[in-house]
Amino acid sequence: MKKKLLSALLCVAMVASLVVGCGGSTEEAAPAEEATTEEAATEEAAPAAEGGYHFEIVSKGFQHAFWQAVYKGAEQKAAELGDTMNFVGPNSESDIADQVQMLNNAINAQPDAIGLAALDVNAALDAITAAQSAGIAIIGFDSGVPGAPEGSVLANAATDNYAAGQLAAEETYKLIGEKVEAGGVRIGVLSQDATGESLISRGTGFIDKMAELAAAAGKTVGVVGNDYFVNAFAGENAGDGAEVIIEVLVPSQVTAELSAIDAQTLLNKEDTICIYGSNSHSAEALVTADSNIGKLGDTVVGVGFDSGIAIMDAIRAGKLAGAITQAPVAMGEAVIELLHAVASGETVSDVDTGCQWYTAENIDDPEIAQNLYE
Amino acid sequence: MADNKKKSNALASNPIVKAIGGQRLIVICVIIALFAFFCIKSPAFRQYSTILSILDYSYYISFMAIGVTLALITGGNDLSIGTGMVCYALVGGFFVTKLGMPVAVGMLIVVIMGAIMGVLNGILVAILNLPPFIATLSTMMIARGLGSLLTGGLSITWPQASTADGWFRNIFKITVGDTKLPLGFLWVLILIFVMTIFLNKTKPGRYIIAIGSNKEATRLSGVNVVKWHMLAYIICGIFTGLAGIAYAATFQAIAPGTGAGLELDAIAGAIIGGTSMTGGSGSIVGTLLGVFVMSMLKTGLPFIGLQANWQQIITGLVLIAAVFIDVIRTRKR
Repeated sequence: MKKKLLSALLCVAMVASLVVGCGGSTEEAAPAEEATTEEAATEEAAPAAEGGYHFEIVSKGFQHAFWQAVYKGAEQKAAELGDTMNFVGPNSESDIADQVQMLNNAINAQPDAIGLAALDVNAALDAITAAQSAGIAIIGFDSGVPGAPEGSVLANAATDNYAAGQLAAEETYKLIGEKVEAGGVRIGVLSQDATGESLISRGTGFIDKMAELAAAAGKTVGVVGNDYFVNAFAGENAGDGAEVIIEVLVPSQVTAELSAIDAQTLLNKEDTICIYGSNSHSAEALVTADSNIGKLGDTVVGVGFDSGIAIMDAIRAGKLAGAITQAPVAMGEAVIELLHAVASGETVSDVDTGCQWYTAENIDDPEIAQNLYE
Repeated sequence: MADNKKKSNALASNPIVKAIGGQRLIVICVIIALFAFFCIKSPAFRQYSTILSILDYSYYISFMAIGVTLALITGGNDLSIGTGMVCYALVGGFFVTKLGMPVAVGMLIVVIMGAIMGVLNGILVAILNLPPFIATLSTMMIARGLGSLLTGGLSITWPQASTADGWFRNIFKITVGDTKLPLGFLWVLILIFVMTIFLNKTKPGRYIIAIGSNKEATRLSGVNVVKWHMLAYIICGIFTGLAGIAYAATFQAIAPGTGAGLELDAIAGAIIGGTSMTGGSGSIVGTLLGVFVMSMLKTGLPFIGLQANWQQIITGLVLIAAVFIDVIRTRKR
């Protein structure tokens, strides 16, 4: 009897902890001070009548310092305009289904407008259509919501990732131009995935610009590696036999190990002169792989994207030649401004929140430093 | 046919084959064959740095695999090790980087968290008799959420090698002169030795194997099965903690919400190494060899220009082959 009671008690405790644990897994991604979705929806919908609006914002999660900065910008702007927001995001950027669920929750909360940075636009299409038929406007941010049905997404507050990729290629070319002109070289591109619009744009922007510059120098260009990027390349593709080969690697799964192995594969090729990691994950993998090989900053030029301690350290140490940084705080502010404008019935248009190239020389300039996060 | 049988009997009674064990011998041959194949196919593979990288990325899988081998031997499983490892490394790193604690304390926290999770798994499996698959699936989810929760969802970067606090990275890879030495491999070998002795020569180790063969019979012969069954999971947890330290030392930044799937690499390593999924038999040395088959494939396949998705398919086929060999062997007995 005693034993039964004990086991029953333990079961209750376990179920309780499971409930807490699982409940946490959908909500904990939001910063601690955030109320739960339900609370935010019911309590904060009320002040909307007094002029303040309530927005649901579905981000890509908080894995990267970048998102903390977007959150900060949004929080500040919302407070300034007297609006409220519920800012959520999935546990990791692989959790596409979780994000779609969050978007559905956001629609059910009936906010004045929704901010969305879609991990996978196709997966979110149903929910986006649902929002449209419920009359809730969506404002895209970060990678935005490309390919969404006409009229569902009114504007985007985003880094022009294609332009950012082009900027990376231009700055990189200044460092490797001579070698490219000599021919017989390989330029590596590391992309965490080939599903999110921002990484696709950063990759294709870099590849297109680099191919253009190499072609201008009279070289044949070949894009090889990941099928998606190879097919997306519109220029003349001379493949493996080209004088300038741009090789794009995408891991089958987003793990630190697989990305580092990709970076190592590129670093080990004799003709590699440069490797571009198109987000902090890929740039960090590049630094990890080089710890055994030691070619970065020596025979291979490393270029990164975004910031974080590891990347900033690598730039200061001369391992990475430089990186592109976006303006996350400005992005967060712009999202709220657009949402506010939409809720007030104004017409809105896309906002490019900008990007900058930084190196060991200008990393401490205030203009750059405000956008760098450890 | 009869001739064949005689041949295989002769092979099985060969003292060298007996000492190493049939499946382990096959696995050693596979590792050598793979290594030779990659060396021939890719000049870039034939470098010291490649071996260093294979070792670098094998430490955390090895530690997890040693631990999970014990859980497998009891006839159970531990799915919580992958996300658990990342969770503990995140939390330990949080204490070091955000709360300013010494690195040694952070490392201790990582191992202690692993041990606590081991106790929890042990309670669920050994005392409450939950199916290990379900119990550890639950704790896997808990670990995943917990890591994000405790660190505010932010990715954590343990001190970099260039800083004074980066000394812990030298535990696994130390630079002597101009050469980097894979010191971590030494720790793996020592732990393999210790755990092999533990499993085969000590009472608790023998009990753990006995539980996997027949828990009821073991209990009836007067062994405290609950205690030893729990111990297997606690050791598994502690090794997961060690894996967390190795993971933090190898990579730059640790992202919350990741780690799911890494447990399968460790489990696959153990299975390839000859540990039986139904329990009662297994070897720590075999597990290490199995891990190296996985690592060799993961590192080598990109060198011969195979696209990422093919790498997973080939790894899957190797796993099927390994299990198939195990099935045939068991049938022969």
